[in-house]
Amino acid sequence: MEILLQLILSGVALGMIYAVVAFGYQSTFATSGTLNFGQGEALMLGAMFGLSLAGDVMGGPYLNYWLMIPAVLIFGAFQGMVVEAVGVRPAIKTKSEFGWIMSTIALGIIFRNVAENIWGKDDMPFPSPISSTPLHIFGASVLPMELMVDVGALLMMVLVELFNRKTIYGKAVVATASDRDAAGLMGINTRMVITFSYALSSMSAAFAGVLIAPITLTGASMGAVLGLKAFAVAIIGGLNSGMGIIVGGILLGIAETTTGFYLSTGYKDVPGLVLLLLVLAIKPSGLFGKTAIKKV
Amino acid sequence: MLEVRNLKASYGQVQVLHDISLTVPKGKVVTLIGSNGAGKTTTMRAISGMIKPASGQVVLSGKNIAGLPSHRIAKLGLAHSPEGRKVFPTQSIMDNLLLGAFTRLSMGGGRPKGDVSSDLDRALDLFPRLRERQHQLAGTLSGGEQQMLAMARALMLNPEVLLLDEPSLGLAPILVDEVFHIINRLKEQGITMLLVEQFAAAALAVADYGYVMENGKIAVHGPAKDLQNDPKVVAAYLGGGH
Ligand SMILES: Nc1ncnc2c1ncn2[C@@H]1O[C@H](COP(=O)(O)OP(=O)(O)O)[C@@H](O)[C@H]1O
Ligand SMILES: [Mg+2]
Repeated sequence: MEILLQLILSGVALGMIYAVVAFGYQSTFATSGTLNFGQGEALMLGAMFGLSLAGDVMGGPYLNYWLMIPAVLIFGAFQGMVVEAVGVRPAIKTKSEFGWIMSTIALGIIFRNVAENIWGKDDMPFPSPISSTPLHIFGASVLPMELMVDVGALLMMVLVELFNRKTIYGKAVVATASDRDAAGLMGINTRMVITFSYALSSMSAAFAGVLIAPITLTGASMGAVLGLKAFAVAIIGGLNSGMGIIVGGILLGIAETTTGFYLSTGYKDVPGLVLLLLVLAIKPSGLFGKTAIKKV
Repeated sequence: MLEVRNLKASYGQVQVLHDISLTVPKGKVVTLIGSNGAGKTTTMRAISGMIKPASGQVVLSGKNIAGLPSHRIAKLGLAHSPEGRKVFPTQSIMDNLLLGAFTRLSMGGGRPKGDVSSDLDRALDLFPRLRERQHQLAGTLSGGEQQMLAMARALMLNPEVLLLDEPSLGLAPILVDEVFHIINRLKEQGITMLLVEQFAAAALAVADYGYVMENGKIAVHGPAKDLQNDPKVVAAYLGGGH
């Protein structure tokens, strides 16, 4: 029983990471009908950049973990803007329906290669900002960092929700997502909103990267599978449902930790990938079918 | 105030507007009437930047705005309540109205801020149904209420020129009367308007000047009083007894 609780709590933490990355998919899809298939790499770059600041890999540490987070958020936002400017905007401009798919995948591969060249191919430990002595909750031992993941992920989503509901800029983002033409008539620069949503998307992935890194390991390949699984969560949870991705993420996270324990850690990636295959089998066209790309 | 000169526009290969020219003087109400498919909505869309005109000029307060993106045209003071309302369904009525004032509330929005909250009050006075429902989501409103919201939202820009595209489309007769009553009140307040309407008689009754559009061209134009008595206009557009 304690073991199961422990697996569930770890699964929830993992699931919240999926939810944060899935949230990034949602944010660009809502405003532009496009997705950044390099979300996993955005997560990896965030973690690597964070490690370079807060770890000892590049002659550091230069900043402690908490001060590193804002720097990583800015870095992530900037990286997202680059993806939008280089990979997405040209495709939207030429009305190439699926050009952005190829270009965001290609950019992801480039980012991974660049990371391998800068930081090498080996995984590295990420210093934990808080005690790594497990806490005991109803007999289950839980890493404090896992709880911090939950808190951090929820905090981020709540802040974005508040931004969307309470500020005129957030309202403008929501308006752009529901009707680009009408938003333009309000004086909202919808192209800028799309750039912003890419910044937000990569920023949340980078944040997820530094949240999860102290639990797992950090390396150039850490994002690829994570990005895929978060994509499955985004599709299952619904590309426009905030609650859906949290529930979907948590279910997947728990499925993985329990599979890893009761079957074999070798199979821990299987539930997510099966989920992805199921999604693609059940709603193959449903993914992009109607809203392939919103015309500019 | 607003002057359109030789405006041409196409959808793909199909040219829809052929040399449209019209003038909306400051403080006046000008109506654009014509049968379905004549190109009235396309004219409005080309003026407000929702589509890019192929050629021609759109001069707003002395500045040629033809070809600018719609958000920049909005900043220059042109508000457009589009055909089909296009309210933001997942946001509250209040949020829709605030979005109407985006150019005044955002940094670098471009419009003088003025007193947004008293304008909000005025808009809600004009449309009491909206005041009662201000916290409701716009998507839950009836068609008539959504139309009022679209008009109120456009007014929140505090516009130099207001474009209204078929504000009575699909409304019950009582609501049509209410919409025209409101247009009259806006006219009394001195708001410069370009009004597209299917109810040509009612539109000419409120307007100072009218243009009749046929197949993408201006067929007839003149003071609204004259058009009301023009036998050809009467036969083609006013015979229905609206
Ligand atoms: N989005 C569009 N794509 C292609 N053709 C269009 C589009 N919108 C309107 N049209 C065509 O342009 C012409 C003018 O339409 P419109 O401006 O909507 O007329 P009106 O508002 O006077 O009814 C019509 O023949 C219509 O079929
Ligand atoms: Mg029309």
